[in-house]
Parts: sequence; structure tokens; C-alpha cells
Amino acid sequence: MSCASPIDAAVLAEYWLAALAGSEEEAVELHLLNCDPCGARLREVIALAEGVRTIAREGSLRLVISDAFLKRAAADGLRIREYAPPAGGGVQCTVTAEDDFLIARLAADLTGAKRVDLCLCDERGFEQRRMPDIPVHLAAGNIVYQESITSAKAFPTSTIILRLVSIDESGGERVLGEYTFNHTRSMPGPGTWLPAT
Amino acid sequence: MDIELSDADLVRQIGLGKGRDAEAELFRRMAPRVRLYGLRHLRDEQAAQDLTQQVLITTLEALRAGRLREPEKLASFVLGACRMTVLDLRRGAQRKARLLEQFGADLLAPVEWSPPHLDHAQLTRCMQSLKERDRSVVVMTFYEEQASTDVARFLGVSEASVRVIRHRAIHQLRECMGVAA
Repeated sequence: MSCASPIDAAVLAEYWLAALAGSEEEAVELHLLNCDPCGARLREVIALAEGVRTIAREGSLRLVISDAFLKRAAADGLRIREYAPPAGGGVQCTVTAEDDFLIARLAADLTGAKRVDLCLCDERGFEQRRMPDIPVHLAAGNIVYQESITSAKAFPTSTIILRLVSIDESGGERVLGEYTFNHTRSMPGPGTWLPAT
Repeated sequence: MDIELSDADLVRQIGLGKGRDAEAELFRRMAPRVRLYGLRHLRDEQAAQDLTQQVLITTLEALRAGRLREPEKLASFVLGACRMTVLDLRRGAQRKARLLEQFGADLLAPVEWSPPHLDHAQLTRCMQSLKERDRSVVVMTFYEEQASTDVARFLGVSEASVRVIRHRAIHQLRECMGVAA
């Protein structure tokens, strides 16, 4: 059985999220009650959504998050370890087996920033990895960065520098802040750097 | 049972009193569809299963009695029954036992459904391959369950932009996971 006018997976995702307007939702529901291929696609979308939820709960993603994420994680009973060094400053930090999330709250004046990159640097300040054009809530005055808890639990004792830079329209960079994390390994074993996924 | 019969053909057969095979086939076809409706609106497997049974009982009752005059409008009829039943379930109305007795538990046996298998390690890699902004939008949408308006406010963009980002990310994830975009 095939479908002559299949519903786009992204529209099905919006249906699943209850984000469609009433008339559009009704049209999708009528279609789904007639169409098994689109029903199968909706099941795939549901599985994808559930997979994202599972992965997000595992804390294994590197990403910029909102405070709503932390509230949700706390409501789920997950354990959050958060460090908030001042711009230009540092903090002693670690991660334990019980931690579910590792968060860095990076204070910065983001006023007027068109694009902000987050650079992950070694102890000498040499850039090892860059997250370009991160999502920024300009009024917040900080960036909330989640490090992969899976990677962090494998880190050896080391120093990691996070650097926020704004990029202007001509590609010029301006440092918004540097934050030093002096990580002491508290997990058993020697620790190692995991390859970035 | 001729599985090539259309839904409307099955409706006609049931209306003509041509037996249980047509009812069973219609149940087999419609149950997974109604269950999806139930999952979407009730967010609970068991509740979705209850909804499926009640909606299909209502539907079969109507078809046996010849109350659906236009067989091609079966989906509209079922959608209406779904809506009414969701309201009933939310009001806590329980007629299940009596109806199961009337129609038979064998006909109305739960439809087993397993979600498609998902390789979480691959999904993690696919998520990490998204643009930073797209990844955050996906997590805000599916984990935080934030509405587009809230995501838009956080990012300082329009709701339409959030929708574009979300569509792009879903297509990219599906492609990365090896399913048709």
C-alpha cells in the first residue's frame, strides 16, 4: 500500500507535539485514519522523539541549553553538577559517578552580538574544538553549556578553557570571556580523552 | 478474507450482515490507526488501547446497524468516535467490561505494537552532527517540551524560524538514521 500524498515527517512531528492549528490537525487525523504508510511514518517520528528524550536525559550531548532544560532535568530527579566561573576566572571542578549532567554557566555581556561561538581549548589556550553560532538568549547575560557527562567521566585530571567569542559581519572575532576549569578526576582509573562524537 | 477489499467495501459487507470476517479485517486495519490517535491525545499506552477498543466497538455497532450511510466516510465517522471517546475517557466513563462481553474478547484482543527500533548510539552521533542551534531546538522541543513561542523567545527569532529549524533538523536526523526524509 502506498500513499499518493504522504504527510511530511516534520508535519507529523508537529502533530505529535500538538503544534498544528485545529483545521490542519483535523486534516492530518483524517488522513492517518485512512493511511497506513503515514501511520508508519508517524511511529518512526514518535520513536525519534522518544530517542531524543532518552539521549537528552542521559546527558551525553554537548550543547547549549536553556534554564528550562535544567528545571526539567531536576523535575525528572536527575543530578546536576553546575559550575559558574566568572569571565576571566577559573574554578576547581570534578564529576562523580552519581552525576547525570555537567553544566558550565558562562557569564558574558552578549549585548549586540550577532553570532557567538564557543571554543573548547586546552590548558595553553589552544583551540581544540569550536561550536559555531551557538543559540544565545541575549537578555540572559550568560550561556549555559552542557558537557557530555560520558566524556567528562572519562576525563583525566586536566585544565580545560572555554572561550566565548562574538563574530562580526566581516568575520572578525572579539573575546567575550574565558573560563578555566581545573578538573580533578575523582572517578576510578587513569582517565582518557574520548573521541568527539 | 480478501485483503484487497477497501475499507468502504468492508463497511458495506458488515452492513449487509456478511459476518465476522469483515469485522475482524476492519478491526485489524483500524486498530493501529485509532491507537495512534489515542497515543497522541492520551499519551498513555493503556489508555490508547482502551480508546481503540471503545472506538471500534462504537464503529462496529454503527456499521452492523447500517447507520453509516456513506461507507467512504468511514474515517470521518471513526474520527468523530475518537473525539467523543477521548472525552468519555477523560470523564472516567467505563463501559468496557459490558462491551467486551457483548462483542467478545477474541475479536477485541489488544493489538500489539512495538515502536520501531532505534540505534541510540547512532542517534547520538546524528544529534551531535546537527548545527548547534538546530540541536538545541530539537532538545527544547522533544525533551523540554517547550512550545514554539518559548523556543522563539529564547533564541530571539520568530516562531516561523523555529518551525523552519525544526523541520530541517527532523529531516536531517531521519536521513542520518537511514530512513526516508
